[in-house]
Amino acid sequence: MPTDTKRVRAPEVSQSPSLFSCGPAVVLPSHGARADGRQRDQVDVRPVFVRCGLVSQAKGSAYIEAGDTKLLCSVYGPKETERKDETDMKCGRLTTDMRFAPFSCPERGSWIQGSQDKNFSLMLQESLQPALCLHKYPRSQIEVNVMVLENSGSVQAHAITCASLALADAGIEMYDLVLGCSIRQDGSSYVVDPTYLEENNWSSSEHQGGLTVAFLPSLNQVSGLQSDGEMTEETLTAGIRTCIEGCYKLYPVIQQALVKAVRRAAPES
Amino acid sequence: MSPTRLCVPGDKLCSVEDCIMGTGVYLRHGYIYSSLAGYVLRKNEGEELPVISVVRETEVQLLPDVGAIVTCKVTSINSRFAKVHILYVGSTPLKDLFRGTIRKEDVRATEKDKVEMHRSFRPGDIVLAKVISLGDVQSNYLLTTAENELGVVVAHSDAGEHTVTLLWRDGGVQPQVETGDRKIIIQFMSTSDLHCPHSYERRKLCVLVCVSVF
Repeated sequence: MPTDTKRVRAPEVSQSPSLFSCGPAVVLPSHGARADGRQRDQVDVRPVFVRCGLVSQAKGSAYIEAGDTKLLCSVYGPKETERKDETDMKCGRLTTDMRFAPFSCPERGSWIQGSQDKNFSLMLQESLQPALCLHKYPRSQIEVNVMVLENSGSVQAHAITCASLALADAGIEMYDLVLGCSIRQDGSSYVVDPTYLEENNWSSSEHQGGLTVAFLPSLNQVSGLQSDGEMTEETLTAGIRTCIEGCYKLYPVIQQALVKAVRRAAPES
Repeated sequence: MSPTRLCVPGDKLCSVEDCIMGTGVYLRHGYIYSSLAGYVLRKNEGEELPVISVVRETEVQLLPDVGAIVTCKVTSINSRFAKVHILYVGSTPLKDLFRGTIRKEDVRATEKDKVEMHRSFRPGDIVLAKVISLGDVQSNYLLTTAENELGVVVAHSDAGEHTVTLLWRDGGVQPQVETGDRKIIIQFMSTSDLHCPHSYERRKLCVLVCVSVF
C-alpha cells in the first residue's frame, strides 16, 4: 500500500489525558511549619505588593499581590443611577461585582458568575458600605469591579483591601480604609492568610473552619464578617482578634501605597 | 501655611478646637479625621481658627448641587419641558452623564404661561442653567433658566451646521440673526445698551459670542 507521506500517523493505542494530569491533592500536615515557610498559630500574613492607579480608564484602581494571589480592582463613578428608589435621593448607592478570571483557579472556571461569586460580591458590598460617605453623593452610583487574576487563597480578604484602596484612589470620600484578613482554623491550630491548598484542605478533624474579617483600623470597627465550618465560640472570638491583628500588620503598607499614589498623581503643589 | 502633609482616609488630623472643618474631612468624637487621600491644607481665612481641608489635585468630582450653575445641552423638547444632558458644573467638566429637565414654567421669569418650548429651545443648544432641585424618584435634576444670566448660549440654526448669534428675551431663544453662510458674527452687547420700552419689563440680553462657520 502506498504510504501517506503528508499526514502524521497517530499512535495506534490512545490513552485518556487524565492519566497524565497531576496526582491527587496532597493532604497538608496539621502541625509543623506551613508549606511556604510561615508559622502556624502566629499572625504571619504574606507580604503584599500594592499599587494604585493602574487602570487608566477607571476613576480609581488598585492592584494587590499577596503571595500568588493577584487581584485587580477598578472603581467607576459617581455616576447617575439608572434605577432609582426612595433611598437614592438622599445618599448614593454602591454596587460591587467580583469576578474570577477563568484561568484564576487550578480548575478552569467560566465567565458567567456562579452563586459563589455573587456571595463574594455581596460580602464585599456589605464590608465597604459602612466606610463610604455615601450621603455626599445623592442620586449617584459608585461601581466597584474586582477581578481575580489568580486565586491562591484568601481572596475575599484581599479583595476587600484592594477595593477600599481603589475607592480611596478614586477620590471617593470614606470614613476609613477597610482591610481584610482571613484565617483558617484547623483543629486546635490556625493559619493566617491561608493559601489555596490550605483553604481547601478539609481533613477529618473537628473544629475546621475559615473566617474572614473586614476591619476599619482607624475607627476600630468590624464592618464585615464571614465564617464557614464548625468552630466553638471561643475559637471564633479568638479568630476575630487574630484577624484584626493581621489587618493592623497590613495597615502601614496600604497607607504607604496610597501616599505614593497621591504623590505620583500630583507632585508637591 | 504649614508644609503640606499627605494623609489617607481615616487619619486623625487634629482636634476640633484647633481648626475648623473644610472639605474632605469629617468630625468624630471631637476630632477631625480625613476622608480623602491627599494633601492636608491649613488656611487662615480671617476667622479665629484655621480651616483644615484635604485636597486631591486631580479634578474634584462635583455633583450638580442645588444652586449650582451648570452648562447643559438640550437633547429633546416637549411642549411641557426640555430634557438636557448636564455637561459642566461651574467650570468643571463632568466625566459621567447626568440628566436634567427644564420645565416650561422655569424657562423665564415673566409671562411663564406664554412660553413656547419649541421657540425657546432647540435640540443641540447649549444652555446655562441653575439647579433648583435634585428631583424626586422619577424625575431628573430640575433646572431653571429664569434669570438674567441664564439661557441659551450657543445654538445651531435650521440649516444644521452653522451657528448663530442669539439675542434672547428673558431666557427664550429668538434667533434674530440670520444664518449667513460666510458671515462671522461676533456681537457683544451689554444689557444697559438695549434697555428699551417694551411690553416685557426688560429685554434680557446677554454677552454672546458666536462663530459662524462655512
